[in-house]
Amino acid sequence: MVNSIKGVFISCDVPMAQFIAHLNNSLPPSQKFIIQVLKLDTTCMFVKPHAEEMIHSAVITFREQNSYDAKAN
Amino acid sequence: MPQVKIIAKNFMDMVASLPAIKLDKLYNNVFICEAILRSLPPLAKKYVLQMLYIDVAVPATVLEEWVLADGASKHRVAIDRLIQLRIFSEITDRKRGTSYSLNPTFQNNLQKHIISGGVLPREPMNSDNSIKLPSLQELETYALKQWERFLLQLINSGQGDKLNGISESMMKIFQRGLLSQRDKDGPRLTESGFQFLLMDTNAQLWYIIREYISNAEERKVDPADLISFLLELSFHVTGEAYNSNTLTELQKNTLKDLEDLGLVKLQQGMKGNWFIPTKLATNLSVSLSDSSARKEGFVVMETNFRMYAYSTSKLQCEILRLFARIEYQLPNLIACAITKESLYNAFDNGITSDQIITFLQQNSHPRCADRVPAIPENVTDQIRLWESDLKRIEMTQAHFYDEFPSKDVFEAACDFAREWGGLLWEDSKRMRLVVKSEVHNQMREFLHTQSK
Repeated sequence: MVNSIKGVFISCDVPMAQFIAHLNNSLPPSQKFIIQVLKLDTTCMFVKPHAEEMIHSAVITFREQNSYDAKAN
Repeated sequence: MPQVKIIAKNFMDMVASLPAIKLDKLYNNVFICEAILRSLPPLAKKYVLQMLYIDVAVPATVLEEWVLADGASKHRVAIDRLIQLRIFSEITDRKRGTSYSLNPTFQNNLQKHIISGGVLPREPMNSDNSIKLPSLQELETYALKQWERFLLQLINSGQGDKLNGISESMMKIFQRGLLSQRDKDGPRLTESGFQFLLMDTNAQLWYIIREYISNAEERKVDPADLISFLLELSFHVTGEAYNSNTLTELQKNTLKDLEDLGLVKLQQGMKGNWFIPTKLATNLSVSLSDSSARKEGFVVMETNFRMYAYSTSKLQCEILRLFARIEYQLPNLIACAITKESLYNAFDNGITSDQIITFLQQNSHPRCADRVPAIPENVTDQIRLWESDLKRIEMTQAHFYDEFPSKDVFEAACDFAREWGGLLWEDSKRMRLVVKSEVHNQMREFLHTQSK
């Protein structure tokens, strides 16, 4: 019988995929969220449902770390 | 409602969507007939004029003979439009096929109109030059000032002087689609609110008027009367004074509201009250696509991402503040810079890069607008790049299927998902499938039926 798993499908470019993989590896095994890496070139993956928010906020913090704010001195 | 765009449609589309009885009542007014005639596509105009003095129904085949073979689609469009506006009524008869006849009220009124030349119910008053009329330029500045005050009031109820015509409840209705109540800092603009601000004046005016008309029923005002008054107003001459005592009670009330919007200017004197329509009023029935009088642009965009806006208006300063960082303000100039932070702010509020770029292009200073392209390419490209940076990861709620019993079931499931537009990814070698969550329930039922 067909098996179905509920989750979130992520499609992105390679650097972002690497970032998500790094995020996944840094978490303890009980909290790892990547269920399956779908494409060999790592541009698609399937993750647990609750991870969507977490990935989103992690990406935002990462982006802010990269931008220079002249006023924040 | 995240993706709702404010579509400013034509006045005529709104007229066309009225119920049949109201439309027939509207056709009693000669000016509406003329306005609708003007707004028809060229082929439809020709048909109406040719059928104007024919009293019997004309078979559809005769009409088709008037058109060459390659005009068939335009013919269809014209006929559909005429039926939609109930100018043509279609009669189907088994012997003779379909035939069309003109709406009798429309026909009579148009015939009278052609003969009499369209006399307005009131004449311009200034026959003995006793009233000092404002010049066209003054009128235009007055209209613009009123409109800006209204817009400022609309988006920020705290600032700006209170308008006396439009009541609190009316403002609330206009604001309904545009602002949202947040607890922290008071009402904030919604996404549609931002899109509204970046539209051009005609489109904004049309949106407000449309809300005003649709709201008329709640105020116990017949929308048909309102529409006929507004269309009549658009036939008056800009800058001429008309006596207010030729108006009905309803029309006088409407005039007060229109003054706050900048459509008319009310004046009083020894001879009584009169009103002067501004260009905004006479442009009402003009379709949005031909905007002949473009306001002069005021924004100069430089390749170093600095923007200089030659304007003194508070409203334009607010609009620029939406997506640029205002550096300083001089008596006739606002200097701003487009930065990543200011754009991220704008994107957070729901403005898209296309809207910002169109706004800049439409409002660019005449000196800048002559250059090709009006806005430097590095600026437009960078704005788009910054926007796409926010969308690097695409996440969709989905379900993952594997362990299919056979290849056929897998193929069938793939096709099913594709038909429903939910297929996100498939792997034929290992027979795995990812489908959007919305389609999951149907998929499950489909698989149940398959396994039986």
